[in-house]
Amino acid sequence: MSTTLKRVHGYLAEFDNVQDLYHAAEHVRDAGYSRWDVHTPFPVHGMDTAMGNPRSILPKLVFCGGITGTTVAFILQTVTQTNFWGEKLGLKFVEDIVETYPTVVQAKPIDIWTLPAFFPVMFELTILFSAFTTLFGLLALMGLPRWNHPLFTSKRFAKFSDDGFFVCIEARDPKFSQDGTKALLEKAGGKNVELVEDEI
Amino acid sequence: MSHHVSFNDLPQGGEKFEPAKGGKLIGALGLFGVLGLAASAFFFFKNTDTFAYSWLFAIFFTFTFCVGGVFWIMLHAASNSSWGVAIRRLWENLANMVVILGLLASPLLIPAVNKHLYEWMNHHREAAHHAAEHGGTVQEALHHMSLDNPHLHILHAKFGYLNISNHFIPPFSWQTRFVLYFLILGYIARVMRKKSLAQEQDGDIKHTISSRQFSCRWLLFFALTSTFAAVDWLMSLDYSWFSTMWGVYIFAGSAWSSMALTILLVTWLKSLGYLQKVVTQEHYHLMGKLLFAFTVFWAYIAFSQYFLIWYANITEETRFYLTRNTEGWRGVSIFIVVGHFIAPFLALLSQARKKKPYVMVFVCLWVIFMHLVDMYWNVIPERGPSLGIGWWVDGAWIQDVAALCAVVGTMGFLFLRGLSKYSLYPWRDPRLIESVNVIN
Repeated sequence: MSTTLKRVHGYLAEFDNVQDLYHAAEHVRDAGYSRWDVHTPFPVHGMDTAMGNPRSILPKLVFCGGITGTTVAFILQTVTQTNFWGEKLGLKFVEDIVETYPTVVQAKPIDIWTLPAFFPVMFELTILFSAFTTLFGLLALMGLPRWNHPLFTSKRFAKFSDDGFFVCIEARDPKFSQDGTKALLEKAGGKNVELVEDEI
Repeated sequence: MSHHVSFNDLPQGGEKFEPAKGGKLIGALGLFGVLGLAASAFFFFKNTDTFAYSWLFAIFFTFTFCVGGVFWIMLHAASNSSWGVAIRRLWENLANMVVILGLLASPLLIPAVNKHLYEWMNHHREAAHHAAEHGGTVQEALHHMSLDNPHLHILHAKFGYLNISNHFIPPFSWQTRFVLYFLILGYIARVMRKKSLAQEQDGDIKHTISSRQFSCRWLLFFALTSTFAAVDWLMSLDYSWFSTMWGVYIFAGSAWSSMALTILLVTWLKSLGYLQKVVTQEHYHLMGKLLFAFTVFWAYIAFSQYFLIWYANITEETRFYLTRNTEGWRGVSIFIVVGHFIAPFLALLSQARKKKPYVMVFVCLWVIFMHLVDMYWNVIPERGPSLGIGWWVDGAWIQDVAALCAVVGTMGFLFLRGLSKYSLYPWRDPRLIESVNVIN
């Protein structure tokens, strides 16, 4: 007799096609669930609205990341290569901290009007910081990386990356109930509704 | 998916535009056109030298919209897209305006006009005169002239491309190419619309496929046409200047401004009660994304051109930017950096704003205004130095406004009237329903 302790992760229901899944998502959304997700082998356009997902905050993070990149590149280059901070703005202490070393080529000025020379680096740091914010922000928001996911205990779930369409309502959801949630998924057209249990 | 529109929800035969409904705008454009043409005729005879630049500026500004129209239908067909089927007819109409523009542009072919615009033509005419007197070819005569005037060496070197037909007709002179550009663009626009209209008779997918094949073949010729038109009409205003980025720069501005015009046009038609079920918020989002993409693309190209010339500091190349970075033009240059790139970039960054028609109207009006400033900044700074008047010709801006009213007014009037000829969208395109229900 097995003595392993198990924790209920949630209900997993399978759907035949995108249409059924889409309407099921609308049902689950309208029933007021919040901790649930949809799993498909490919992106489904309009699924965000069907699930009632709010806009992600990621774009705002990326914007801040990009602005940081531009600013860092601007400050780094102008502090080290122009007289903008020390003479123009009168911040003498900047000159005490950093030695200004203008690269004079082709008779280019050493004041702020040599700015075009700094654009490539400003552009690239903007891209770099945005890309980093996108990647790491996305991973953080999704809670990745992680070693395993409770859903992988379901044998049927392996189809999600091939031809399976799934809805999973987690037990953490305040509206979750053993009978009610199962009934909802079956009513929405879900097949093979199973209780996914995770080993602790 | 919840508001799925099917074929039966749309009117049979599509929607026909009634000019009476948009009478205010059409009438205003017509009035501007007539007044502009009258003023232009006056300036044309009174101030031919300064007005030639005004006319070139107005013609080229309008030309870029036609180029953009041709580009968007071809790109849409070549990339096998379906989202824009609902808007495609507007591009087809816009592209077909190039033929009428050709008529308005024809005064630039008159030697009495283009002698004020293109100094190199005067040198060529002088060389042709010498060649006729002393024998030998025009190129040899140019070479002979360049011994006294070293500036002309570059004209001698460029003779294979940059030449005119005066007493004899070289097969590929500036004049021949001038006509060819309008013929090629007009041909593409005509064929694409013909295929689109044939589909309206039988609803067969074969027309979609054949326009795709046609576009793939002719995209190359389109690219060459828009590039060399930009080289011939604008770059050769200063014969010593050259930039390999030039064609792309003009193309980027064309695609950008014509997309803005499309959004404005769609919004205008929707406000008159047309395209209600056909064009949705999703189309605004898609067009806004393309507008955003071309904002960045233009900036990338414009900066690349500026940066390389500024850094390399070669005399022939820097002249273009020296003229535009000194005197009053410096302010305009900086304004273009902010207004042509930074402002629209920030405005178009958010998805929510791209989906709001009333926000997009303001952005698009700004875009077209900035494109106008950009074209002005490209053409007009050559006027003073070329005519030997100084950096700014006093009072000549009235001529610029007159030319702009004449060309934009006439073209706008004819374009909007022409919308009534066919359905506003290709109503029997098999992919129309896909386009109407698009989600991105």
